Amino acid sequence: MNGLETTRISSRVILWIALVLLVVLYGFPFLYMLFTSFKTPLETIAVPPTVLPSTWTVENYATAIGRDGVVASFINSIVTAVLSTLISLVLAVPAAYGVTRFRTKFGQFFIVGALVMRMVPPIVIGVPMIAIFRNLGISDTSFALAIAHATISLPLSIWLMSSFFEAVPEELEEAAKIDGASRLGALWRVVLPVTAGGVAVTAIFAFLASWNEFLFALLLTATRSQTTPIVIANFQTQFGLDWGAMTALAVLYSVPVILLALVLQRHIVAGLTAGAVKG
Amino acid sequence: MRLTDRRFAFFLMLPATLFLAVFVAWPLVQFISDSFFEISKFAGGPRTFVGLDNYIEAFTSGDFGNAAWRTLVYTVIVVVFEFVLGLTVALIFTALGNSSRVFRTIFLYPLMIAPIVAGLLWRFLLIDNFGIVNQLLTDAHILQDPGQIQWLSDPNIALFSVAIPDIWLTTSFISLILFAGLQNIPGDVIEAARLDGARYPTILFRIIIPLLRPVIAVALILRGIDAARAFDVILIQTNGGPQQSTETMSLLVYRTMVRFGDPGLASAMGTIYLIAMLAVSVAAILLIWRPGSENDR
Repeated sequence: MNGLETTRISSRVILWIALVLLVVLYGFPFLYMLFTSFKTPLETIAVPPTVLPSTWTVENYATAIGRDGVVASFINSIVTAVLSTLISLVLAVPAAYGVTRFRTKFGQFFIVGALVMRMVPPIVIGVPMIAIFRNLGISDTSFALAIAHATISLPLSIWLMSSFFEAVPEELEEAAKIDGASRLGALWRVVLPVTAGGVAVTAIFAFLASWNEFLFALLLTATRSQTTPIVIANFQTQFGLDWGAMTALAVLYSVPVILLALVLQRHIVAGLTAGAVKG
Repeated sequence: MRLTDRRFAFFLMLPATLFLAVFVAWPLVQFISDSFFEISKFAGGPRTFVGLDNYIEAFTSGDFGNAAWRTLVYTVIVVVFEFVLGLTVALIFTALGNSSRVFRTIFLYPLMIAPIVAGLLWRFLLIDNFGIVNQLLTDAHILQDPGQIQWLSDPNIALFSVAIPDIWLTTSFISLILFAGLQNIPGDVIEAARLDGARYPTILFRIIIPLLRPVIAVALILRGIDAARAFDVILIQTNGGPQQSTETMSLLVYRTMVRFGDPGLASAMGTIYLIAMLAVSVAAILLIWRPGSENDR
């Protein structure tokens, strides 16, 4: 509560109406996609279009799941996102701790460097990566794609973890060290448990970055490790424009993360605003 | 043997440094070095050093200048709409206080959706003949018939239309960051201005926005960088068309590299694009954010 909250009834009513309108406008596209996925294939392209299905059917879902490679691509998406989250966390946690706790010249150079890396467009590093993964013998594997995705999430993870570590009072580690813990022991047994929430937030963002990524997946995967975003995009060329099956697959792919977001809402807001707002 | 703190910190950062060096810096170096070569489109083909030829070709080709301009326009459209909409929503949330909580949650959901899905979804919503948007606009008597606006097939407005999913996806990000920033504005400052008889617009432009500047700067810079790199959202909607009207830098580099098989030229274009983005970001950071100045905290 601060000086910007209004208590006048008339303004509150107007603002509520504006907000409800905005949310309806904002929520409509996804609801429409949801409704479309339950229409019959014929009704999805009816002129004029309808909002609600006249007959509800799961036909589109059956078609989408039944297609070659769809189930496999889901498994690939999950494996890639989990691997990439792990890589990101294992590298970011110690690095961010090193940056925030010891404040060395190298640390400053490192954090600025990580931020600059965040600006590199994926198209720039994606093509040279093809050759690198070929030389490493891991072309077209989920592991290679997970590494590529970690190049996106790692700078973000370092940034997020740094802001969480900064909030931990140094006295905590001092106390642990007096009790005989090593520096690594202090990080592992004292600091990490305190910042578990922050680690969770960082993990969510790393997971989402990989789950929704498209360009690296397009450049680096063929049939074996293809993720679902590529399959969704291929629906339009391979099978003509089957909007029904496409919306069904898009719903299947989005709903898990939307539910995740609603459940973990508070953590996600904390992550989004960490670093941007220090107060 | 006991490590000094400095060594210890170095070893903590070493794995991440090596990872970024191998998988970001090294590909980046290769990409930039490619820009000085004429490279055959066939794997293992000849590679001839051509100096700055690719750069000259990039700057003299109309495609490159057009794509650069479109990238700028696209970024400005996205950032301006998101900022105005995001700030409005953040101010409404703040004015309604804690009771707006449920709505803040709902507002979050597009952030979780893949850009590829958002692009497809909006392409579906905006289709000329059976798209629901034109149908609803017609039902509301704003349009005479659903075919009147051809969102994605009219080259004059396509660049604006392809920006809609991006705006829809990430306005929430700006809203949430600005909302968090607004919570930190001391209430007594606003109260004092009210007592002095200041009206809302004055409070907004003279107090709120200046106080929020660091937060606004971070939000706009982050979003600006992302919008300037937008790829999948545009690719899935128009693939750069109609008549290249939505071909931004990412798409042009991709097309030159993958479709035309000219990695040398694509690398030169990409390198210029990268340098321009770095320069603009650094300038933006120095101009509006001013880290380290009295406004920082």
